[in-house]
This record gives sequence, C-alpha cells and structure tokens, in this order.
Amino acid sequence: MSTAGTTVTPHITPLQAVWHRPAARKLLLLAAVTAAVAPFAAARWGSGAWPHALTVDLTGPLGRANDWIIDNRDSHWLFLYFFGHISNAIVVSVRAVYVVLLALGWAGVTAGAALLSWRLAGVRAGVTALASFAVCGLLGMWVPTMRTLALMIVAVAASVAVGALLGLAAGLSDRTFRALRPVLDTMQALPAFAYLLPVVLVFGIGVAPAVLATVVYAAPPMARLTALGLRGTDKGVLEAVDSLGATARQRLLTARLPLARRELLLGVNQSIMMALSMAVIASVIGADGLGDRVYQALSTVDVGTALTAGIPIVLLAIVLDRSVGRRSAGRNGWAQSHPPGRTRTVTTWVVSIAAVVAAGRLAGTSWPSTWTLQIAAPVNRAKDWMVDHLYSGIPGIGGTADAAAHYTAWVLDPLRSGLQALPWWGALALVAALAWLIGTWRTALTATLSLAAIGVLGRWEPAMDTLSQVLAAVVVTLLLGVLVAVAAARSDRVERLLRPVLDVFQTMPQFVYLIPVVALFGVGRAPAAAAAIVYALPAVVRIVGQGLRQVDPAAMESARSLGATGGQQLRQVQFPLARPQLLLAVNQAVVLVLSVVIIGGLVGGGALGYEVVFGLAQGDLATGLMAGTAIACLGLMLDRVTQPVKAKEAN
Amino acid sequence: MNATAAPGDSTGDIREARTTASPATGPAVDEKPVFSVRNLWKVFGPKAERVPGGPLADLPPDALRERTGCTVAVRDVSFDVRPGECFVVMGLSGSGKSTLVRCLTRLIEPTAGTIAIDGEDVGGMDKGALRDLRRHRAAMVFQHFGLLPHRTVLDNVAYGLEIQGVGKAERRAKAGEMVAKVGLAGMEGRRPGQLSGGQQQRVGLARALAADPEVLLFDEPFSALDPLIRRDMQEEVVRLHRDEGRTMVFITHDLSEALRVGDRIALMRGGRVVQCGTPEEIVGSPADDYVRDFVRDVPREQVLTVRRAMRPAHDAGEAATGPALSPATTVADAIEAVARTGCSARVVDAGRCLGVVDSTSLLGVVAGLESTPSKSTPPNSTPSMGGFEEKTAA
Repeated sequence: MSTAGTTVTPHITPLQAVWHRPAARKLLLLAAVTAAVAPFAAARWGSGAWPHALTVDLTGPLGRANDWIIDNRDSHWLFLYFFGHISNAIVVSVRAVYVVLLALGWAGVTAGAALLSWRLAGVRAGVTALASFAVCGLLGMWVPTMRTLALMIVAVAASVAVGALLGLAAGLSDRTFRALRPVLDTMQALPAFAYLLPVVLVFGIGVAPAVLATVVYAAPPMARLTALGLRGTDKGVLEAVDSLGATARQRLLTARLPLARRELLLGVNQSIMMALSMAVIASVIGADGLGDRVYQALSTVDVGTALTAGIPIVLLAIVLDRSVGRRSAGRNGWAQSHPPGRTRTVTTWVVSIAAVVAAGRLAGTSWPSTWTLQIAAPVNRAKDWMVDHLYSGIPGIGGTADAAAHYTAWVLDPLRSGLQALPWWGALALVAALAWLIGTWRTALTATLSLAAIGVLGRWEPAMDTLSQVLAAVVVTLLLGVLVAVAAARSDRVERLLRPVLDVFQTMPQFVYLIPVVALFGVGRAPAAAAAIVYALPAVVRIVGQGLRQVDPAAMESARSLGATGGQQLRQVQFPLARPQLLLAVNQAVVLVLSVVIIGGLVGGGALGYEVVFGLAQGDLATGLMAGTAIACLGLMLDRVTQPVKAKEAN
Repeated sequence: MNATAAPGDSTGDIREARTTASPATGPAVDEKPVFSVRNLWKVFGPKAERVPGGPLADLPPDALRERTGCTVAVRDVSFDVRPGECFVVMGLSGSGKSTLVRCLTRLIEPTAGTIAIDGEDVGGMDKGALRDLRRHRAAMVFQHFGLLPHRTVLDNVAYGLEIQGVGKAERRAKAGEMVAKVGLAGMEGRRPGQLSGGQQQRVGLARALAADPEVLLFDEPFSALDPLIRRDMQEEVVRLHRDEGRTMVFITHDLSEALRVGDRIALMRGGRVVQCGTPEEIVGSPADDYVRDFVRDVPREQVLTVRRAMRPAHDAGEAATGPALSPATTVADAIEAVARTGCSARVVDAGRCLGVVDSTSLLGVVAGLESTPSKSTPPNSTPSMGGFEEKTAA
C-alpha cells in the first residue's frame, strides 16, 4: 500500500501498474500473509501433509454416539415418539404404494403410465412410456422396477411437498430467502454420498433412511425453483393486481402461483430426476429395487446382470423426464393450452382409470415369466470377449486396460503424489488464492476453512487422493467439452445430432455410468474417472454451447465485417463474451465429476468414497461419517473455489 | 433537457379531438374536487421522513443522495382533480409523475402530505378501506398492461370483479360488455400473448372499466405502443371521456398527447409541478423558460383560441360584419374563416360581440407576438389551483 501512497509522480512504476489490477492486489496480499505465517506454521508443525497435532480424533465420540443410538433405538422417547413414527410412516406408505402397483398388475401399470404420459406430455411420451415399461418386463426386472417406482413415488411426493413449502416461505419472505438460499446452493453442490451416513446413524439401514436421504437430496431443487419462480413474478402484473384491490391470498393464488407455473413444473422435474438418482444410490443403505441389483452385480463385476438392471433405470429416467415438467412447461405454454371443459376431462379420467384397473386385473399381477429375455449371459460373453480382445494387444492403440493403466500411471499417480506432497499450508494458500481470484473473500474463506476441516478430521491423505482424481477428470472433461461445444456452435448439423444424445445423457442417474466403464476398463481409479468424465461431459457441452451461441450476433457480425477469421472470432469475441458460461461450466464440471468420483469408490476408486462404503459395509459408522463429512467439505471447497462472483440480483 | 423532442408524433391537429369533448369549457370551479392533494412528498431512501420540510429538502438531488442516500421523487405537490375532468400530469422521465399517480391509491406510500378522495382522507385508510378504494373507486391502466398471461381476455377483464367476489356468471356478462365496449368483441377466448400491444392495452382499459370506478388512473398507457395505434387509443379515451364523463388522471410524457386528451395539464419537473393550467394557458403563457422551451414546437394556432387574438372593435360596423366565431374557436379555424371572406371576423358569445380578429392579430398569435392577452392569469395565482407556491425551476 505504501507504494501507491508515497509515489505521486505521474510516472507509473511497474509495481504501481500491478497494484492497479485488483487480481494482482489480491494475490500480493495473500502472498504477504502466506510469507508471514507459513514459516512459523512450517517450523511449528512441519511442511508435509496435514500435521497430526492439528487433527481431532472423532472416532471415539462418534462410535459412542453410534452405540448409544443402537442401544436406545427401542427405548428412548426420541426414537419411540419421533423418529420411530417417521420411519414407520415411510415404510407403510412405500409398502402401500407397492401393493397398489402390484394390484394394478403389469398391464395396468404399463397402460396407466402410458396414458398419464400421453395426457401430460403428448403422444410421443406416451409411446415411450409404453415401450419402456414393456422392456422392463421383458428383461425380467418387473418386480425390482416396481419396488424402485414405489420408493420413488413416496420420496418424490415428500420432496415436492417439503420443497414447495420451503420455496413458498422463501418466495414470500425476503429474510427466509436470504437465509435459505446459501443452504440450498450448498446442498446442490454436495455429492449424494455425503447424505447417506447421517440418516443411517439415526435410522439404521433400510427403506426408511433410503427414502429420507432421497427426500433431503431431492427437495432443494424444488424449493429453489419455487422460490425463484415466486420471486420472479412480473412486477408490473403484481402492481396491477394490487391496484385492483386484491388481498394477499388472492394475489398468491390468482397471480403469483399461476405465473410461476414454469418454474414449479421444472422444480418437480428436477426433484424427480434427483430422487431417481439418489434412490438408486441409496441401495447402499438398504433401498431394494433396481439400484440394489446393480450394486450387487457390480460388487462381483457381473456386468451382464448390472446391465439388465441398469437399462430399466435409464428407461425410468427417460420416461419420468419426458412426462413431467420439461416439455409440458414450454415457453409458449400460455398461448397454446386451451383448457378443455372440466366435465369432459373428469369423465375421460374416470373411464381411463377403470380401463387400466380392468386391464391389470385381467392380465395378472406380475410380468409373465415366459415373456422374459435373459440378456445377462450374452452380455457377459460379450464382455469376456472384450476382456480378451480389447483390453490389450490391439496394435498401435494398445487396449482399454492399457489405456486405463497408462492414465493411472502417468496422470493420476503423479498428480496424487504431487498433491499429497504439497505442504498443507501451501494447499490452503493455493485454495484461498484461486477462490479469491474468481469469487469474493467470503467464498475464499469458506473454501479454505472447508479444506482445513478435512485436515482436522484427519482425512487429508484420502481427500488429496480424491482431489487428484477429480482434477484429472475435470481437465479431460473441460477439454473434450469445449471442443465438442465449439464444433456444435459452428455447425448446426453437429448441434442437431448432439441434442438428443445430450438429452438422454443428462437424464441418466450417476450410478448407471459405472456399468459400461467397468465392462470397458475393469475396476480401479481410471474407470471411476472415465465414468465421471462421461457423466459431466453433457452438462459442460450444453453450458459452453449455450454460451457460445448466445453471443450477441451484432458483435459477431462486426467482427466478421472487420475480416476476422473463424479462430479469431472464437478467441477474441466468443470466448470473452461467453466468460460467465465458461466459468459456470467449470463449476458444474467440478461438482458433477466429484459426485461420480465418490461413487467410484464402489468400483475400486478408493479414497473417500471407498471409506464411506467400507464404513457402511462393516457397520463402522464413525469411519464412514468422517469420510462423509470430508466429502461434504471437499464438495463445498471445490464449489466455492470455482464459484464466480454472482451479479447482484435485483431482489 | 431536450424540449424539441417533447411534442410527439403528430402535430397536425392537436385540438381537433379535444374541441368536441364536452368538458372543454371546464366544469364549475366550485364543485367539490374528486382528488385533493396537498403538499405531497415522496422520498425514496433510508429514513425518508426527515427530508420533507426540513433543511435537507433544499439540497440539490445529487448532494441529497450523497448525504442521505435519499431521492426525492415528488416534491411538495398540491392540486385538485375536479369531477368529470381529464387531469393530465406530464413531464419527462424521472420527473416523478408515475410515482405521483401511484401515491393517489397508495400503491406507493407517500412520505408526507395529504390526499383526499371526495373529502375522505386516503392516508388514514386502513387495509380494508384502501382495498375498497382500489376495488370500487379508482382503477388504474398501466404502461405495460399488467395482464395475467395465463388467463383469457375475458377472464382478465373479469379479474377485478373476481377479486371483489362477484359471481362467475355475473362477472363474465359484465366483462363481455366491457370487451365489446373497447372494440375487442370476438377475442374473448384469446390470451394476452396472442394480442398486439394496442389490443392488450384495450384489455387493460376494459379491466379498469369493468369495476365501474369513479376515477380512472392512466399511467403512461400508450407509451409502449406504435404511433398510429397510440393515436387510435387516444381517440378512444377521448370518446370514453366524452360519452361517460368519467373523471380521469392521465400520466404522459408526450406533450401532444397531453394537449389532445387533457382538460387541464400539470407539468412536472424534478418532482415539482412547474405549471398547472389548461392547454391554452400552458402554450400561451408558459410560466418559465423550461415550459416555454417545452412547448416551443407546438403549433400554437391549433391550441390557442381567438380569445387571445381578438382586439376591441374599432367601430360599430366592424362589430356587426364579417363571419361570427365562438370564443372557443381555434386560431387555425379563424384564419381559415378570415382568409375565405377576406375581412375581419367577430368573436361572438351568446349574441354579444366580444371583439374582432383580423389577419394581423391572428398572424401575431401564430408568430408568438401577441401582447399579454386580456384573460391571461399567471397559473400560480389561479384561485382554483389551491394556493400553489410555484418556484421557478432554476
């Protein structure tokens, strides 16, 4: 600061020039702080991984808490009168829905789903639903599909209700909104695995905690979108409604809620997709159904069975996504939808429900066993063939297993050793610098504290392992994503080809991405990274592509009129103007990659994800909980480091 | 400020539409006012209530914002709106006119001052009374329409009645009537998104009319419309005003619109009313240089009347010959009459000759040379204005 203060001469020294750049000023300040603190910290605690002296061992207290809960689960009033009731209510409702689904029979459910999709989203959605359910039956997965569906229906109903209530509160009150928003934002950035352990600690293993974890995971998007929808109501319309003398209730019911319809439907859609993704992962804590089949199969590397259960998951995701929300909330929804007469609608519904029930009763409860197709064995044969022919020895390329090994040896391992060798104070300073450069001092502080919390919990080494996998995968994702997005932005044909693919890929739950990579690369850290890349790629392509295409056509036209080449346009106009989207893409890539890298613990990814699975499998909740907390901290840190400054919003 | 930009699209026949409006001669001055506004202030910002009346009020806007974070939108405004008249508040953007009209029904809470509707204090109304006022007595038409996009035209028009709790059949019948009245018959089933801007504003107008309010408030209703459509809508309003004689408060930034629809015009600048008077007074006797600059491009012969051009008759012969004109005749019409006959014309009111206009005096008006006319009263001393204390804006 003294440099800027003392030299008043008009001549600007290089130091002053540096000082006038905010980014440089931040870095200088941080460097000064680090230079002052680091030698002391290094001398006191050493310069390797997080010093042992600064950790707090929570294994003892957590273990005792776990024991206490297990001992008192059947006697303490908290469980008897509160958690017990919640748990029972969930189990009873899931069972009730399951029984209804079974009673409807395969024909009833299929016809019902097709009818519902048709009414909600048109003929194509109806046909998709019909075909999808038929395939689920054909694969012999009817019963697990129904179990997952029953769990989903209860979880989605609960998350939509909870989310809508929270969103209503946040939409109507500024204070609630300000309090809730950072919480919701953070919850959406955390990997699904972080939610599992707290519920297991309280509720044990079973359907109830699975549903609860799903609700906790799926409610935030609904709450967020409800609040945003309510707050985004056209001020002019609200003023007009006020000028007519509407009461607060009339205002909400006749103006704000109907005007937020788009956001509400989108919220339901997102809730459903999140719920499906979590309901599948929750098989780790006792949710049965399709996820459980995949989980069991993957643990024995039985790719055929995993695929047999994975296909219905994907189909379910596509049907749910196409039927609810996204399409029916089209931009011109108001202009197109002409509400038909109410009496006619009611009659139609009564008739169709009766038809569905009748069909179900006639056709029988479960999918006829003679109509199934066993694909597990052929798939496994194909996989064996792949192991023999593709894994290695292809001239020139090597093979998939070779590639995985190379990726592990040349990218993952050095990165991991580098991160683990990084002095702990250096890592803290690095994170602070990155977060501060992109965001504000608040985000930097949160990020640094989160990283420190991981160290305090004693999970420094595995966290660095996970971080190395995340970084390696994010770099690949961004490179590929930007390449594809640029191609799509420059050619309409590529874009048209890409769009349906992206649509499907974005709807699939994280879990199913593990199946093909295990088939292709075996188990280990490389396949986990591959799954993460495939999972995060569509979002990155979509965000970057949107950013590039949204660039002001006038700016592009003026660049062309000045004779800029394609590359110049890209570098000098499109990328700079799409900067917000590029930053968002980085943020999303990091968040999405982390969520899959953690799940990769199921297929040999090791590190934090494995510790959670291990804790659950061994009943060692203390280890699992600490790893889960470290995952949450890592997610928070990564999200904050990549979080760009948000433009001040009007409300 | 660029006053030359103020007169709007058409300067062709500004008075033409107005002269036929019945209250052009003005309702009786001693009638009880519909709206009576006294010393109204609206200050935006933290602790706004300390600004009005205090030493802070005299600070220039920038200094005030720097010192207190407050902005004065409406500054010590007083006026009366008489029954049956169309009272226009006009000013450029940022002059506080839209804030002023929102204060009338407390869509924006005034900071200081009183507003009375039919002698009843609006500021003191509780929630229920205020809702009643908005539901039944004052309806507003907005610049950006404020229609509900998910409802049909008919349901939008019926919306005000729905809020009042009117039954479905009744409100739909009434709304149908209103839709026909604003010329949208046959479009009842459409949604706002399928209508043009002008049609949407007709829906907004019908919605305001459906409640059968005592006063209609217009907040720059036609600013977002194309010039031609705007013209249509202005004529629609003039027609409505003529047919129903409803009291109107009309906000606009367009001088030609103000002259076309207004019986009286209050010209605002920086939150103050700088002049309040009939169009003829505004154009003929601008209160200060700002107003003069503002009305410079108005074709005077179409706004000013022969009252301003006439001189006493030189002799009895002159007072008995030539075409007879009413005192409300515009100078433009008088020029035509004089040019056609080739001699001077008489201004006759109720059989009595008030004076004579000839080509010299008429041309003097057009050129802006006329001496202070006999009836010219500086607006800040007009008794009906409710004791304005105008300061000439710096």
